[in-house]
Amino acid sequence: MKAVVGGLGRWVTESIAGLGEMTIFAGRIVRALWVPPARGALIRSALFDSGVLSLALVCASGLTVGFVLGLQLYNTLSRFGAEESLGTAVGLSLIRELGPVLTGLLVAGRAGSATTAEIGAMKATEQLDGLRMMAIDPVHFVVMPRAVALTLVMPLLSAVFVLCGIGGAYLIGVELLGLDSGSYLANLENAIQFREDVLQSLVKSLVFGLLLAWIATWRGFSCAPHAAGVSRATTSTVVTASVCILLADYALTALWAV
Amino acid sequence: MAGPEGQSDHVVFEQVGLAFGRRPVFSGLNLAFPRQKITVVMGESGAGKSTLLRMIGGLQRPDRGEVRVAGESLADLDETALGRVRRRLGMLFQNGALLDSMTVFENIALPLREHTEQSEEEIRRMVHQRLRDVGLGDVDDLLPGELSGGMLRRAAFARSIVMAPEILLCDEPFSGLDPPNVSRIEALIVHLNRNLGLTVIVSSHHMASSLRMADQLCLMRAGAAISGTPAGLASSQDSTIANFMGEDGVSYLAGLQDQPSAGDPS
Repeated sequence: MKAVVGGLGRWVTESIAGLGEMTIFAGRIVRALWVPPARGALIRSALFDSGVLSLALVCASGLTVGFVLGLQLYNTLSRFGAEESLGTAVGLSLIRELGPVLTGLLVAGRAGSATTAEIGAMKATEQLDGLRMMAIDPVHFVVMPRAVALTLVMPLLSAVFVLCGIGGAYLIGVELLGLDSGSYLANLENAIQFREDVLQSLVKSLVFGLLLAWIATWRGFSCAPHAAGVSRATTSTVVTASVCILLADYALTALWAV
Repeated sequence: MAGPEGQSDHVVFEQVGLAFGRRPVFSGLNLAFPRQKITVVMGESGAGKSTLLRMIGGLQRPDRGEVRVAGESLADLDETALGRVRRRLGMLFQNGALLDSMTVFENIALPLREHTEQSEEEIRRMVHQRLRDVGLGDVDDLLPGELSGGMLRRAAFARSIVMAPEILLCDEPFSGLDPPNVSRIEALIVHLNRNLGLTVIVSSHHMASSLRMADQLCLMRAGAAISGTPAGLASSQDSTIANFMGEDGVSYLAGLQDQPSAGDPS
């Protein structure tokens, strides 16, 4: 019993200490944003790695989710004679929930894990120490550009996912099942409100991007400097970021409804 | 053990203690590295040679005691202040530590671009000079992953000296090099020391090169160090020295006994 309580106490203490270190790390990233030079070339390169290289995955996933939504919702709505509302149902579900959340999970799995692995490998091979010895802050040179890129690409990729999803549902509903094209698009347009839907979607994906950037860079930066440590950190990034994204989604949805 | 700090000591360890978990690395280590001299740190694997160099660079903080570089204690310095000290240091890491994503040229040019106002033309000239110094040509556009082990270490050596540091720290500079390149790097270290006045601290297992170029030898063992001039160590009766150096090393040291000695093992 004593050992269990002791173990629990250690876990709580270590968790609080870990959160404190993560918070200090986040502060260092924010401070690095204002310290010259601006690292524009490194940010562009990280945007390419996190954004452009995730594009095919996000497009394919968006299109597939659109296909499934088109089929499922058409079958369900047609039971009530409401298949004309397919555009509304697809648009709202994609923009409010599925777009930001699924994009967040996909980007966590691809770009988030890659970011952790890259920073972790740099740590394991003393590249971060090499930068320190050249009096170059690794947070400024390595972490900040990747964190900025992960944060910025999330809303953009989420928008691409939503567009692909809407397009996929259009192909199924209109081209395959014979729904009227004008009706699909008109219902979609009428149902979407900027503040309630589009802004909520953008805010959500931006928050998911921030969470992923924070977790992915911290895990890489603080991992044990060997192959197993990098592997553990990479797995941890995907798991932690996915859970955080789902929890944040609930919190943001609830807050938006208030 | 090192004596009291002198004016000529560039780096000083004072009562330094460090443990990794339950494994002690240093226990009350006292050591002084003289200015503008070549000190070779030797010892068995795991004796703490690399850790010693990392402590001088402020990459590893001691659990207790003090490390002073050019008179400045590293104990209370934050990362920004450490950066100021590190600009006076050059460090060659054991595995090179070149940035994977940058070409060899960009790697060597990086500190110049970060810390100087030199034009691209001057930077290009300087980088090529350093590459020639280490015997590398036509590798500008190659990534570190495209170099052989020996070429990688030489490129890393070029980066460590491109800013003309006051103190050069070399972690196993000869490992993975063929004999001609061992001689080249050895000659370059000696040139940097004798002609440009760099203080050089080298950790090495390469007995012949180490004994040839060392002004001071430092033998690490059981968390402490024995240091002195090679000739001074040769006259010592300490069995630790003979055990570590082996027959070849002892014979070499014995040959130095007749030469003038600057000091005895301390």
